[in-house]
Amino acid sequence: MSTGGRSFLHLIALVAKRDYVRTVRRRGFVLGTLMLPLGIGVFILLSTILPGAATGMGAEVPGGPPEAGELVLLVADESELGLEPQPELAPHVELVSREDGLARLGEGTAEELYVILPGYPDDPTVLRIGNPSSGFDVSALQRQAGQQQELAVWLQSTLLEDAAVPPEIARRVVSPYTLATETTAGEPGPAGPSLASFLVPFAFTMLFVMSIFITSGYLLQSVTEEKENRVVEIVLSSVPALPLMAGKILGLGAAGLTQVAFWVLSALVALALLGDGGGLAGVSIAPITVVLGLVYFALGYLGFGAIFSAVGALAPGSREAQQYAGFFGFFAVVPVIFSSVFVSDIASPIVVILALIPFTAPAAMLMVLTLSTEIPWGMVIVSIVSLAIFTALATVASARVFRATLLLYGVRPGVRAIVGAMFARS
Amino acid sequence: MADARETTGANGPSSRADTLTPAVVVEGVWKRFGQTDVVQDLSFEVRRGEVLGFLGPNGAGKTTTMRMILDIIRPDRGAITVFGGPPGIAHQSRVGYLPEERGLYRDVPILETLTYFGALRGLSTRDARDRATRLLTEVGLGEAMRKKAAELSRGMHQKAQVVATVLHEPDLLIVDEPFQGLDPVNAQMLRGVLLAQRDRGAAVVMSTHDMTDAQKLCDRILLIDRGRRLLYGRVPAIQRAFSDGAVEVRGAGISATGRYRCISEAAEVGGSVRFLLREGASPRELFRELADEGAAVERFEVSTPTLDEIFIRTVAGDRRAEEVR
Repeated sequence: MSTGGRSFLHLIALVAKRDYVRTVRRRGFVLGTLMLPLGIGVFILLSTILPGAATGMGAEVPGGPPEAGELVLLVADESELGLEPQPELAPHVELVSREDGLARLGEGTAEELYVILPGYPDDPTVLRIGNPSSGFDVSALQRQAGQQQELAVWLQSTLLEDAAVPPEIARRVVSPYTLATETTAGEPGPAGPSLASFLVPFAFTMLFVMSIFITSGYLLQSVTEEKENRVVEIVLSSVPALPLMAGKILGLGAAGLTQVAFWVLSALVALALLGDGGGLAGVSIAPITVVLGLVYFALGYLGFGAIFSAVGALAPGSREAQQYAGFFGFFAVVPVIFSSVFVSDIASPIVVILALIPFTAPAAMLMVLTLSTEIPWGMVIVSIVSLAIFTALATVASARVFRATLLLYGVRPGVRAIVGAMFARS
Repeated sequence: MADARETTGANGPSSRADTLTPAVVVEGVWKRFGQTDVVQDLSFEVRRGEVLGFLGPNGAGKTTTMRMILDIIRPDRGAITVFGGPPGIAHQSRVGYLPEERGLYRDVPILETLTYFGALRGLSTRDARDRATRLLTEVGLGEAMRKKAAELSRGMHQKAQVVATVLHEPDLLIVDEPFQGLDPVNAQMLRGVLLAQRDRGAAVVMSTHDMTDAQKLCDRILLIDRGRRLLYGRVPAIQRAFSDGAVEVRGAGISATGRYRCISEAAEVGGSVRFLLREGASPRELFRELADEGAAVERFEVSTPTLDEIFIRTVAGDRRAEEVR
């Protein structure tokens, strides 16, 4: 019975659809996709229920004073200054005697007691008394940092007052300025680079790079699985090797993009929930940067995808396949290893070299686009051309290796055989 | 020993298969891997409505030849036509293939796998699913069709693989060592499937080491060794060509020491007597002599070699010739 009407495109679409659906339905894919947003959600939840962490004042004092949950800064003044509380400058200070303070430490209603010693201010030493440390405690470090900052402000104000410095000058010495920002267009917002304007695009860059490798990993898994299950020859009798490879690259690329899109959407929702853009108001990514980012993502995925599919075809099993793939994957993350160079000097020779080497170009150029104030068009054009040529050659070579080695079961072809396959026409 | 020529039946091309146009024509095909010619100047055809037995020792080039017909690999020289055109995706929807190394997706329900295979062969997804459901039910896998392959027994796997091969009603069926690993029940099922496909008009190419199955199922055989054709033709004709003219007789009053004019040699073989006829003598003459002497013949059979014997004699002979050369 003839059931004609099959074309390469139809076969590619069949393979792509089947691999896409099969991948997104895998438990591992679903868990991996949900894990990042869940992690962000947990972080946001913890941020909202632990306000002390946000202010740097650390954890609650368990069973504390009537204002339960509000941290206090216990201070015992043994100097001759006669320190008095200043709620406007140091709202958490509570003056106590050393004995009372030690008692509070013993009861567990306070964590630290700061003692202004008798020699102060000639001797600047302030004694901090606390219970023996039981290990590394990030919240304690944050709390103590906040305490010390507030203590410093309080002592500065007191010393200035004693020196008869007018109160308004004293306040200005203690707190010299409050920063407000405005752009040249007269709109409020960050003027010039800000940490947020770096972090957000950088995070998207890392997401794209991660997606290249996650997706290429799915491709590797798909090819090795069909080989190990002995399904590949039946499939090859229906679909020629090149449409088979193309269908897998497209289908699994779509699965990877689905995962990234879900992460991006989750991040946007999280930022919206944080309010005021989570402090990222005014952060923007230029459309051209997005377009170029997508170009590098597409070329990077196609190149690595083709290589990984060839690796899956020639490897005797999944374990060897992952080892071989790791070798190529290492080159791709080299720019991340040198990220400090990118941050400190975007024009350095290391950055240029990494941007031009095809294996490292996708990650390197995504970082360059993120960190540059202006798009370096010369570098962009040269890197895209070299990456496109490399991707085309890698795809052709990988397709030939894929076709030549896909039916070799339990056999590891030698280097000569692999090179021969790359240059063979049939 | 018969030489490497095609032999036809004694009554000429009288079978249904001989009158139909070939589904596959292989002409002067060569294939080299590395320094080895695994297929050398091979020519044959596969006709519709017949089972062609593709025989040969391990490494003879059978699987390579099948893959060239399927366009999985390309020949270095020569030509292959499938349904009148070059092998390729234009014909792959009319071809069913059961490879020697075969399996199913382990973590996918078999119905889903077969639906996918059917779609790759040109069926719509719905048609593929409906046919797979019907065929799986027919072979007793109705309740298991939604289970993953990893949850099935080996026998169920085998049945599912056979269904996958014929799901789209191919016009050309290529099966490579199909009986390997099959239990007797599934082997019987597969024989029935292959014969049913042949009777439907499909061309069937079957490679096997089991000469019993080849003798039962094949209309013609092609025996190759080291990529070269050694024997090609209808099974009865090949057997007659390899026959040494012997007759086996059992009965009272029959012995190897008896003097018969039409025989040159006689020997006792397992309760029977094997008479080698003189040149020009016929079995009828021997029967007449036995009757004239009053022998009570219980069994009188013209001895023809089995395909197993022919295979061994041909391949061993060919290899000895290789060594001599």
